[in-house]
Amino acid sequence: MPNFNIDAKKDMTYDAIVVGSGMSGGWAAKELCEAGLKTLVLERGRMVEHVKDYPTMNNESWDQELRGAIGPEDRKKHYKVVRTGFIGENNKHFYANDEENPYTEVKPFLWVRAHQMGGRSLLWGKQTYRWSELDFEANAKDGHGVDWPIRYKDLEPWYTHVEKYAGISGEALGLPQLPDSHFLPPMELNCVEKEVKQRLEKEFPGRHLIIGRVAHLTVAHNGRGKCQFRNRCDRGCPFGAYFSSNAVTLPAANATGNLTMRPFSIVDSIVYDEKTGRASGVKVIDSETGEMHEYHAKIIFCNASTLSTTQILLKSTSSRFPNGLGNDSGELGHNLMDHTYRVGAMGNFEGMEDMYYKGRRPNGIYIPRYWNIDEKTKSDKFVRGFGFQGGAYRPGWGGGANMDGFGEEFKDSLITNPGPWEFFITGFAECLPYHENKVSLDKQNLDKWGQPTLAIDAEYKANELALNKQIQEDAVEMLEKCGIKNIVGFDNKHEMGYGIHEMGTARMGRDPKTSVLNATNQVHACKNVFVTDGACMTSNSCVNPSLTYMALTARAANHAISELKKGNL
Amino acid sequence: MNRREAIKNTALLGGASILTGSLFSILQSCKSEPRLSWKPSFLKAEQAQLISALVDTILPKTATPGGLDMKVDIFMDTVFAKLYDAEGQKALVADIDGFNEKCRSKFGKAFTELDKAQRTEILKAEEASSPKYNGKVWGTAVGEQKPVGFYRSMKSLMLWGYFSSEEIGMKVLNYDPVPGDYLGCVPMKDVGRVWSL
Repeated sequence: MPNFNIDAKKDMTYDAIVVGSGMSGGWAAKELCEAGLKTLVLERGRMVEHVKDYPTMNNESWDQELRGAIGPEDRKKHYKVVRTGFIGENNKHFYANDEENPYTEVKPFLWVRAHQMGGRSLLWGKQTYRWSELDFEANAKDGHGVDWPIRYKDLEPWYTHVEKYAGISGEALGLPQLPDSHFLPPMELNCVEKEVKQRLEKEFPGRHLIIGRVAHLTVAHNGRGKCQFRNRCDRGCPFGAYFSSNAVTLPAANATGNLTMRPFSIVDSIVYDEKTGRASGVKVIDSETGEMHEYHAKIIFCNASTLSTTQILLKSTSSRFPNGLGNDSGELGHNLMDHTYRVGAMGNFEGMEDMYYKGRRPNGIYIPRYWNIDEKTKSDKFVRGFGFQGGAYRPGWGGGANMDGFGEEFKDSLITNPGPWEFFITGFAECLPYHENKVSLDKQNLDKWGQPTLAIDAEYKANELALNKQIQEDAVEMLEKCGIKNIVGFDNKHEMGYGIHEMGTARMGRDPKTSVLNATNQVHACKNVFVTDGACMTSNSCVNPSLTYMALTARAANHAISELKKGNL
Repeated sequence: MNRREAIKNTALLGGASILTGSLFSILQSCKSEPRLSWKPSFLKAEQAQLISALVDTILPKTATPGGLDMKVDIFMDTVFAKLYDAEGQKALVADIDGFNEKCRSKFGKAFTELDKAQRTEILKAEEASSPKYNGKVWGTAVGEQKPVGFYRSMKSLMLWGYFSSEEIGMKVLNYDPVPGDYLGCVPMKDVGRVWSL
């Protein structure tokens, strides 16, 4: 049973405070606790304990009156998240209440929140890729944004560190643009994916079709069970087979005896001490009682998620920082990025009707970036690049509504014939950091705790739209050359936020005049405040970011520990 | 499905009672104006009869249970009552009226009163004229979805109701709640029937 801090008066001082318990906060807690630091994790939502608080993990559709769908009341409560198509009866309790947590879309922006212990680490897609040297050099080379203060070699040991503990499955390929992780055995491609891989790699030298690299255990690892291929991850996994804070990092932190978790804790602000030039602690509103408490610590890690972290920093004003903690540069809140989403192509693979698969693989294929990786692949239409996710499957009865026919034969065929193979790929393109893509505090619109909300004002621009155009052209061309039939290219023209890869708004950089954080994720002018969630990102690559948040967090936490030992913090 | 397969499946389902039931339902579905044996939450009795008749026509009882055996019409009524918003409910009522109107103008009768050949003719025409659902990627339809119309949306809804029901999901389809492994290339004949989940 974890330590809880409910009686606020008892224990107000810790060695470290971690704000947020998701993907990166869990890692901060684990590293700090294991180094012997008494650590308080603040979480604005409720407690979710691994397995115990996964009430729907074994539900079948027929257990529910609406077979897993949600009605108008839930749709209203989650009126932002319903746009994703991901929310249903079995996972709705892991999504934040959008009505209680409003934000303003100055331009359309989908902000998906998960307010509970573990945050979005319970809901993520688990795709896990290292960034490459190409990514860390990108800003410096093409002049967009500011230069990253670190390079791949700085992060490489920390990728190794987190991978070995978290457990990542995949296949090593030696591609410079997609460095290999330390892999557990890869999941299997299905028949059609194997065939399309052969055709694609023959038709398009330099392109690769691989099984997705994912934070799922394909063998038992560190006391956690292997994936059972139920594909019910977003309900919480009773086997602990995918990486989440709840299953992996928080239990490890808790095992040290140094962890205290305080759920229902909304951070009002980080308190800056003018005398020491450091943050002295954090003001917290108890979301249940409305009472304000102040906790103290030597170091503070901000891991509330990209936009929430920036919201907290913007709210943390003092005479030294009138525009938000660490905002000397004026860049706090700016350079918001996300990956473009839902552009690609789909069609039918003809043949192999006698083949099927067994198990529900929570993973698909990946086609790593192949544009702008060297002189030969340089585009004159855009900078940066994109990768594809996708897969082949047979629709089963789900394809029945589009099939011609009804009656006896029709019904029976749906029981015995899983339908034609379908194949799709959908791109994720890199977004450049633009100063004008920003969030700001909206002091006119307060939430139910009296806190200023966020106004989000961001959009994709010419480079992202050019990338999306290329994604669709390439997707259609690849499917054609691979013999896929009935090809439909698509571009849903989704606004930012749909990628659920928000990054930036408190970027790392070499120069305090143009960035918020230094090379070890410390606020330039307030060194005992660390930001290691997506807010810190200086650029956004085209690969999924979570692994990089984990590695940056472990690296920064170990830097903090070493600085504390030296007496520098 | 040929007869041999039908018998095999019936054996798997463990009962000759299903065949008896099947004959019974064929007899029943020939009767016009069946009395409603359940109380709808949203639909009026006449509308409910239409939905039941559509379910029975599209998913009739064979060697495997029919849509009415799985109470798919009742499930659809629940969906109309609890999932549809007011606007959707209004549109549904208009669609039902429109569909009945088509039947009346063609055959002078409501759908529930049509014989099998007439029902087939009407539904084939609907089938041919209704746009299809766009493909989906991870829960999101790709591209811009044209309205699929009454027939196809009802067909979609009843397939959902039928295949997500307990008996079909656990006993008719291939139910494997904890597969344990993923095997990417398995002969269809070794799997036998479509996976339930």
